[in-house]
Amino acid sequence: MDSSLVMIGLTNVISVNNIACILGGTLLGLFVGAMPGLSATMALALLLPLTFSFDPATGLSMLASLYVGASYGGSIAAILLRTPGTPSAAATVLDGFPLSQQGKAGQALGISLFASFFGGLMSGIALLTAAPLLGTLVLEFGPVELFAIAVLGITIIGSLAQGSVISGLLSGGLGLLLSTVGMDLTTGTPRMTFGQINLFAGIDFTVALIGLFSVPQALTLIENSHRGGKVASRITDRLMPRWRTIKQLMPNILRSSGIGIVVGLIPGTGGDTASWFAYNEAKRFARDKSRFGKGEIAGVAAPEAANNAVVGGALIPTIALGIPGSSSTAILLGALMVQGILPGPNLLTDYGDVTYTLIWAVILANIALLVVGLAFTKMSVSVTRIPDGFIACAILTLCIIGAFAINNSLFDVGLMLGFGLFGYWMSKAGVSPAPMVIGLILGPVMETSFQQSMLIGNDSFGVFLESPIATVLLILALLSILQATPFFRWLRVPFKRRLKPD
Amino acid sequence: MHAKPLRHWLTIAAVAISLSPLAQAADYVGGDEITVLQGFKPGGGSDALAQLVQPRLSEILGVDFVNEYMPGATGAVAWTRLAKQSPNDGSTISITNTPMLMTNYIMNDAITYKTDEMTPIANVVTDPGIVVVSADSPYQTIEDLFAAAEQSPGTVTIGNSGVGGDDFFTTILLEQAKGLSFKKVPFQGDGPSATAAMGGKIDASFNNVGNVYGQVESGNLRALAVFAEKRLTSLPDVPTMKEKGVDVVAGSSRGYSAPADIPAEARQQLIEAFQTLAKDPDFQAQAEKRAMNLDVVTGDDYRAMIDKMESDYREIWDSVKDQVGR
Repeated sequence: MDSSLVMIGLTNVISVNNIACILGGTLLGLFVGAMPGLSATMALALLLPLTFSFDPATGLSMLASLYVGASYGGSIAAILLRTPGTPSAAATVLDGFPLSQQGKAGQALGISLFASFFGGLMSGIALLTAAPLLGTLVLEFGPVELFAIAVLGITIIGSLAQGSVISGLLSGGLGLLLSTVGMDLTTGTPRMTFGQINLFAGIDFTVALIGLFSVPQALTLIENSHRGGKVASRITDRLMPRWRTIKQLMPNILRSSGIGIVVGLIPGTGGDTASWFAYNEAKRFARDKSRFGKGEIAGVAAPEAANNAVVGGALIPTIALGIPGSSSTAILLGALMVQGILPGPNLLTDYGDVTYTLIWAVILANIALLVVGLAFTKMSVSVTRIPDGFIACAILTLCIIGAFAINNSLFDVGLMLGFGLFGYWMSKAGVSPAPMVIGLILGPVMETSFQQSMLIGNDSFGVFLESPIATVLLILALLSILQATPFFRWLRVPFKRRLKPD
Repeated sequence: MHAKPLRHWLTIAAVAISLSPLAQAADYVGGDEITVLQGFKPGGGSDALAQLVQPRLSEILGVDFVNEYMPGATGAVAWTRLAKQSPNDGSTISITNTPMLMTNYIMNDAITYKTDEMTPIANVVTDPGIVVVSADSPYQTIEDLFAAAEQSPGTVTIGNSGVGGDDFFTTILLEQAKGLSFKKVPFQGDGPSATAAMGGKIDASFNNVGNVYGQVESGNLRALAVFAEKRLTSLPDVPTMKEKGVDVVAGSSRGYSAPADIPAEARQQLIEAFQTLAKDPDFQAQAEKRAMNLDVVTGDDYRAMIDKMESDYREIWDSVKDQVGR
């Protein structure tokens, strides 16, 4: 690491112009993130053309801080309205919304903000200090390893099935099935597209996510709007979490940030995956698992720390090797290309001034997040004072705008509404949409990497055992499945007897 | 505490807008605004081309360009819109990527547009095909790779950017020319294919120069051959396939096309604008800086280029379509 370039980066960032851009970007990110239907990737894509006229460092600072802001902003709507503002905040709904129903929305939002801040800061530091080292790790992850990660991710479905395991598996299986819609990677054959070219690229899971989470919530709000007697309309508890709570959550936040950085590193997986992984691990390590899903603060801290840690994680291979770690960083890389900077391993050396400016911008954006976020969150809490009927209409409007903006396609709006009606039925039938979303996210990764692995390994399953990384991950997946069955309890029975001699 | 950053942001936005080129006297017959349909997401290769070409074209023609991104079905959503639903008054054009433009509908009956429903205006860049291997690969030369494929047919793994992309077809062309058989591994784009080669997950990646140039320069990837007519000035030590006795010249090209039957005058103005652009030394320098290989082919010549590609790729696909997917 060239320390002079690091300092040039720092001095570049600390200019009135850039700090203004970072604050503006963070605020814009918070706003976009908080709106259900508008995601970080989309906001980056929309803002990108505007930054073409900026100087590269300023433009990048703004884009990076937007990315950081949106990664936290998604949790606000997730906690207050049960509608994830961004795909990576879907896991936050599970415990965030119950907390808000119990009148503890302030606490949940505060925990979410601090977890996001710590996660983002940790990944920013990892980015500054260990990017070249961690960057090379990315090359270890080929199709074989990616398949193992996807399998491990799919096992989360088992532990998410709240209540009925059968309905959880049904929902997950349905998600996997829907993820096969679209062109087959190895043959180019369109599958289950019914000659509809809008389905050739598959079902965009963001479209499905908006429908599955936001539309049913809007319909439920309308259903209950005439009943009056709104619960949790006032935030009575404090936003700033107590130091004791933060200390208690620290191991969880550190673990989740680690997960976020690693998942962010790997191309093909991003914040949407990392938050589920982190949620699952927080649950696994918790002493009292039964509180998850009913308003456990650890269930808010974990996904939020992870999805903000993804930002730095995904930037690591981007700046170390010129390989984007997520769809959002692919847009940042596009911004570099349009500015005439050719992405490659020389980003840290030849274009060090711009790259280190970007890294410092990420770190400063996290600090800005804490400041701007506190004010923004306090303001956004007032949303709960608006009558449910108006909120429902606003959510539906945003859903339609959001679904359209992904691909500028009206077809996607129809698809989103279809998913919405299905999600409404699911919520009435007591089937959780979360496993379905995981199926939709990981299904394409799993299928694609499986087909590639089979081609590389000459149709032999042995290819998965030849890679140490894949083997370890697959064993973890097996253990994770066994954990959800009574298998371990049977194993423990003889030991328990010995412990109780009388 | 909110007002200040917001005001700054607004100031910046206002400055950005005022900096954008203002519409000059409208002498273009298609109107003073041209919508450019892009079949891919912002920030991709097509967008990079648009950002290089359109500001300059905007000055030449005195019009504003509006990009409309409609990703989906490897560009087919945008190109179907261009061919079937766009006004043919010269106010709407699209960035057309070849050979994807034709392989899309050659391979899938559900894609219904055809290139004869379009007016080709100009090709702008051609990114030649290139064979790259990881830095520690045992294959030092292209002959090593051929020898390995000859020794054990169908086992040498070659990454490509996806079934139907230029790299996929280039692999088939090479197989047919040399009587070899590779194991073709499709990836979702050129980037992942190059990354897999870099990590030694596949034996080689058939890619495009613009995508891997930085990695080749820095030594993460080794280039074995390029599918170009002549050696490239940017990679003078890399032999062409022609030198190695394989008559395969291929790459991925990007240009601009309009819907069919646009006014002859609009077509002529657009073609002339691209011809003027091609002579602009600043444009040439900027293209070189971005490792874009200029290959400006306008009007009837671009039409001929597209027609030839269509018949060539249809022939290749007919000869291999039964084997794909095994």
